[in-house]
Amino acid sequence: MAEDAFKQFREHSVAEFFKKNRQMLGFSGKVRSLTMIVHEFATNSLDACEEAGILPDLFVQVEELGDDYYRLTIRDNGPGIPKSHLGKALGQMLAGTKFHRYIQQRGQQGIGASACVMFSYLTTGQPTKAISICKGKKLTANISMDFKTNKPIMEELGEEDVAEGSGLTVIAEFKDVRYEKSNYGVYEYLRRTALANPHCAITLIEPTGDQFVFPRSVSINPPRPFEIKPHPLGIATHDLLEFSKVNKENRKISAFLQNEFSRVSAAKVEELRSLVPEVNFDKDPKSLEWQEAEKIVKAFGQVKWIAPATDSLVPIGREQIELSFRNIFNPDVLIVTERSPKVYRGGIPFMIEVGIAYGGGLVSAGKKGEVMRFSNRVPLLFDTGGCAITETIKAMDWGRYDLKDFDEEPVAVLVNLVSVHVPYTSAGKQAISNEEDVMEEIKLAIMEASRGVQKFISGKRRAHDIATKKKLIGRYVQQLSKDLASLSGEKSDKIEAQLVKIIEEKYSGPEGLVGEDTPAPEKETGGSEDEGGAEE
Amino acid sequence: MSSNDASKKLAGMGTDMVGQIKAGDGPTFETVLRTKSNTLFDESVGCLRTGDKKETRKFLSMAQARTFMQTVAVASRTRQFLKENLHTSIRGLFYQLKFSLGEDIDEDLFTEQSESNGLIEDLEVALKIKREDLNLTTDRKGFVAGPMTILDRFGGDETLIDLEKQGRSGWSIPSDVDNGMEIKSLDADYVLVVEKDALWQRLNEDKFWKKENCLLVTPKGQSTRGTRRLLRKLADKKLPVYCLMDCDAWGWYIYWTIKTGSMNLAYLGRDFAVPEARFLGVTMKDIDEFEFLQKLTIKAKDVDVKRAEEMLGYPWINRHKEWVGELKAVLKTRKKIEQDALQGQRLTFVGEYINKKIKNKEWLP
Repeated sequence: MAEDAFKQFREHSVAEFFKKNRQMLGFSGKVRSLTMIVHEFATNSLDACEEAGILPDLFVQVEELGDDYYRLTIRDNGPGIPKSHLGKALGQMLAGTKFHRYIQQRGQQGIGASACVMFSYLTTGQPTKAISICKGKKLTANISMDFKTNKPIMEELGEEDVAEGSGLTVIAEFKDVRYEKSNYGVYEYLRRTALANPHCAITLIEPTGDQFVFPRSVSINPPRPFEIKPHPLGIATHDLLEFSKVNKENRKISAFLQNEFSRVSAAKVEELRSLVPEVNFDKDPKSLEWQEAEKIVKAFGQVKWIAPATDSLVPIGREQIELSFRNIFNPDVLIVTERSPKVYRGGIPFMIEVGIAYGGGLVSAGKKGEVMRFSNRVPLLFDTGGCAITETIKAMDWGRYDLKDFDEEPVAVLVNLVSVHVPYTSAGKQAISNEEDVMEEIKLAIMEASRGVQKFISGKRRAHDIATKKKLIGRYVQQLSKDLASLSGEKSDKIEAQLVKIIEEKYSGPEGLVGEDTPAPEKETGGSEDEGGAEE
Repeated sequence: MSSNDASKKLAGMGTDMVGQIKAGDGPTFETVLRTKSNTLFDESVGCLRTGDKKETRKFLSMAQARTFMQTVAVASRTRQFLKENLHTSIRGLFYQLKFSLGEDIDEDLFTEQSESNGLIEDLEVALKIKREDLNLTTDRKGFVAGPMTILDRFGGDETLIDLEKQGRSGWSIPSDVDNGMEIKSLDADYVLVVEKDALWQRLNEDKFWKKENCLLVTPKGQSTRGTRRLLRKLADKKLPVYCLMDCDAWGWYIYWTIKTGSMNLAYLGRDFAVPEARFLGVTMKDIDEFEFLQKLTIKAKDVDVKRAEEMLGYPWINRHKEWVGELKAVLKTRKKIEQDALQGQRLTFVGEYINKKIKNKEWLP
């Protein structure tokens, strides 16, 4: 785990550790490394903007300086970082990390911006340039770090007054990275970030000089997630014991349970009491013993609880997804689910959002069977194979939804997992583990959206069928008219004109197909051997 | 049916369709469903025929539009043949109709001859005419010799054909024995149908037809439409029809096709069936009766056994206890025997065998 990794910084040379453990920190592969770096700075920017109530404007530029050698510029319009914190935020490992357990947050992934500063310094020997406009001051600094002491080094400090504006610009150079326009590259990362964060405007300038703008789709920041009390079903014995020890406000176990956990009412406490009569619920929580805690946790499992409070979950939202999908893909059809939160492992709230887009801009963009995974709005680009989202999509019977050749259809599926605690498969935090409850919910959500898409596709196919039919039958009109004229003695062009008119009327709309599924003449089934030949 | 009648029917079909179009409807025509499920055995006549289930062919149907157009094209083209009094085969018709549908259409009216078979049957059924009435010829295969003369009006000539004067080859039965053909004189006591040409040649050499005053026919295997039609006409002249076949699956099938018609062409009904036909042999019983045959049997193949089992399931066959006995004997002994085996002892034995069978009425129904 990244946390464990950082603990070792104090004992070893940070640089040495970093060199040895790059992969562990997510810096594996040249393309992936650059994407990770952009991710670190971008999430910091988005979090800062949202916290300050500013609609994020993100500018990213990648310039090629040499072989696998790039300069990255990232600028936001956030509140900026005051002088006192600037060095710490960018030049000290672990400084800004917060590992709150019961809050939905972006920053669960990755390793922090300071690791990127270090990466830059290690590969190029250059400090990272930071420009922070904060509270009327424009602050510039070159930041590097002292690996031995894990202390930031700030050089060439500049400070001037500015009349307005705020934001942070970071300019850093990196070697051993690569810009590539693949599914794992910066472009794709930002495109998907824009998709899942419709309140952002993102501009990207590629090494080629090409500029891409992902416009803002909604002009309200999403509500901030907040911390919640743990739900009894999400608690293990040692958690309960630990909480009871640090508890100060409650003098009785009954009150402690009622006040410190969600969904525990007085009535539920009474129910617990009757389930474990041997435990004295009136004693001081501090005196709770392991065996007692164990019994209470066991009893938690026997009580029927109201599902945990899920208002701590902040989904992207149906309208928002729709708007950003339209902005980015402009598909023919777009179905976004709006499902209620669920719980996995008995007590961890989560929520699945699925958006499926089909046709339109996806066709012109050449997108086929695209799967876009997100957790708490953060695009998951790597470790596709082992991810619960990918596996669920693979296992789908797409034929049922007229998407038999899923990989060949102009379809894009967005899945966002929202949770205070995302079950990642590994420290890389790029894949969701195969939690049964989560997979089931992903499946249901995809099915729900697929049904909507199917309605559209079958409607579209019907229209297409009618056109095909009209065209097909139309081919035979002239010949038929000639022969009918020959048989009846009437004029061929007159018959043809009338036939064309009949066909036009019949196949003018989808209703033209009703009751028109006449099968081809049935094949002769009787007889056997080669009698036919003899009788020809 | 005269060519004039057929021509009128074809024209009427076209006029009906134009009428539908004028009324604002897509053109259609009605035909009879030609499937196994709509095939039944007509007890009163004793032949297979199609049931009453009708089908409507529609031009305004994705699945049928092409066939519909093709059917009308065949109708129109064969009407031309009738007008010009010219005959051709289905293959010839196919080449007549194998042309592009138009400059900008990358599709031919017909691409395979097999496409035309089904729709010619459609026309036959819908208009109640035979393909022979449409001047469509089929390949000939059967031969006949014996006391009969035929007046053949063909190619502008009238030829009187004496079937006693056809030498070693016999008269080749044409594909159409109705149009332009007339039986002028007939002086035979019965008709003998032998499955194989080889046996026919043997009997012809013996002048069997002269000695026994019969018509000697071979379909050379499965009967053509022409042969079946001729047998029907001869049966209509009250001549008994006796059949001498192999005692195996193929022989039985040839016999039952002559007698009741086939499933495939059930829609032709009585016109192509001879319910009066009788099966002289060879039978399983013969093996017991003629000692020399016992050494000449062959092991029955799977197809023979399967066919025997199938036949036991057909109500129009299993109603005859003689056939049930015969077929069960095959299943039991797993043996079969060819008609050629009758020559095993003496070449001339066949004639004696036939006479004995007819005289003693030893036949299967």
